[in-house]
Amino acid sequence: MECRVLSIQSHVVRGYVGNKSASFPLQVLGFEVDSINSVQFSNHTGYSHWKGQVLTADELHVLYEGIKLNKVHQYDYVLTGYTRDTSFLEMVVDIIQELKRANPNLVYVCDPVLGDHGSMYVPQNLYPVYKNKVVPVADIITPNQFEAELLTGKNITTEKDAVEVMDLLHAMGPDTVVITSSDLPSRLGDRFLVSLGSQRKVRPDGSRTTQRVRMEVHKVDAVFVGTGDLFAAMLLAWTHHYPDDLKMACEKTFSVMHHVIQRTISYAHELAGPGRRPSPPQLELRMVQSKADIEDPAIFLKSFFCPPINTSTRRALVLKRISPRRQSACDRITRDLCLVSGAPACSIHPKVI
Amino acid sequence: MECRVLSIQSHVVRGYVGNKSATFPLQVLGFEVDSINSVQFSNHTGYAHWKGQVLTAEELNVLYEGIKLNQVNRYDYILTGYSRDSSFLETVVDIIQELKKANPSLVYVCDPVMGDHGAMYVPEYLLPVYRDKVVPLSSSTQLIIKTVVLTSTDLPSKRGDQFLVALGSQNIVKADGTKTSQKICMDMPKVDAVFVGTGDLFAAMLLAWTHHHPKDLKAACEKTASVMHHVIRRTMTYANEMAGPGKRPSPAQLELRMVQSKADIENPAVVLEARVL
Repeated sequence: MECRVLSIQSHVVRGYVGNKSASFPLQVLGFEVDSINSVQFSNHTGYSHWKGQVLTADELHVLYEGIKLNKVHQYDYVLTGYTRDTSFLEMVVDIIQELKRANPNLVYVCDPVLGDHGSMYVPQNLYPVYKNKVVPVADIITPNQFEAELLTGKNITTEKDAVEVMDLLHAMGPDTVVITSSDLPSRLGDRFLVSLGSQRKVRPDGSRTTQRVRMEVHKVDAVFVGTGDLFAAMLLAWTHHYPDDLKMACEKTFSVMHHVIQRTISYAHELAGPGRRPSPPQLELRMVQSKADIEDPAIFLKSFFCPPINTSTRRALVLKRISPRRQSACDRITRDLCLVSGAPACSIHPKVI
Repeated sequence: MECRVLSIQSHVVRGYVGNKSATFPLQVLGFEVDSINSVQFSNHTGYAHWKGQVLTAEELNVLYEGIKLNQVNRYDYILTGYSRDSSFLETVVDIIQELKKANPSLVYVCDPVMGDHGAMYVPEYLLPVYRDKVVPLSSSTQLIIKTVVLTSTDLPSKRGDQFLVALGSQNIVKADGTKTSQKICMDMPKVDAVFVGTGDLFAAMLLAWTHHHPKDLKAACEKTASVMHHVIRRTMTYANEMAGPGKRPSPAQLELRMVQSKADIENPAVVLEARVL
């Protein structure tokens, strides 16, 4: 596989955020990763202390100039994440536009990091840059619910709202949207959160089709840093391998996340000791230890197509008078629900949705 | 394996030198790698063009301060390579001395990059810094370096002029307290190309394999040299393919095939034998 990614993200001396979080997994999966470090900090800003230096928009341009002068500015993917500086972000957009001219097939994977849980945690003046300049040139975006709502101006309280928001985001540019987490109630209870994805494709005959998926994801009782960066990198990798199957790409991506997070939380608790909350250093992702899971993630969760099963199948399930064809569909759904929740098959009763 | 390396080397956006060359292989072998980038350049300086920024000694100190303030300045290994700035190098020395106080078992792996083929290619004033400050940094009481590997020499090889000679020597303290040393010699096939980043990969892999074979320099060197062989062979093949018949590959084409060599890095088939002298 000959695939080159330009990743423009933070560098931390210690730990796994930004380029530290994205590079190793992509390299392990065989991608060539060129990385521009937008900052160099001792560690992420969730620790008690952090120190370091930032790259200016001019310095970014200088680095890009070097690449361009050597005529090695052909990239298959560009990947960006957390940024705090509008002029830096605007320079990134200029670079991407130029790279897209050099390779029209370039795919720009963008995590539009603006905030979470109802508030922005980047300067407010980044919002118009993302909305008007960045997202329109993006091909794949990974907003959380807050970012998706902010970019579209529409709130999400139901799955139907989420689908409409994803369509609004498609209209802004990206053909692939994954809402990485939401407050929508999960079918599996409050220990799960809901993620959604949508991929717009053009068929050979010119007609448009959209595949929508929904994931029920285990919640974890800890604050991780760098997981969003890992997610975007892995979504890049798995959409590369499954360009027309967002369901599969998401299953792989969310499964990798699950394995890495589980390993990390086990280790963190071991280090912290019983009854104590792990510290930020202890919660650093167990990245190198997760190499095998990154290379070949065992699918831990299944995704569902949206909208879910139709009315007649639902009714048939309730009445238990179903044809063999519908039976196998129901079995598949039941099995899917079991895979997600881990409960044995006989205890799951498909609920009327 | 819970082993943390602090690597203070260059970063290039594209290609494999310095930290780009050292980090991935060490991570693939399960080492935690903390990396301080001494520079950020677009690519290595063997290309037609290169652009970027350097870290000052002061900025290096600031980064280290951050690590120290969080009380996470505990390392098992330090790794350094190419440097052009004597005050930067001196700050590195200060940091290492402090880290050795935090962990007396710390092992400092140093590639004392000064030049090759009879000439220096770093500023001359680095020589006294390396000789008097950097190289003597070793375990607590004795000013004796434990392991030395002469990565390449002009000594004639017994296998002919398609080979170069590498030598290694390791001081070992036996169980009964007596000191001895193991000296080895290796004949390595020459390759008709100029590679950049191979020295950085070598030092990183020597770190890894001496970690796994702490008292067996022969085994450590065989594994290290074998990794080098596989990576270089793969790189040469690809570079020649890219360049086309009869044409010399360019620096861009000669970048090490690092990610493609993952399996060889994880488990190098030993293809070179070291002789114990």
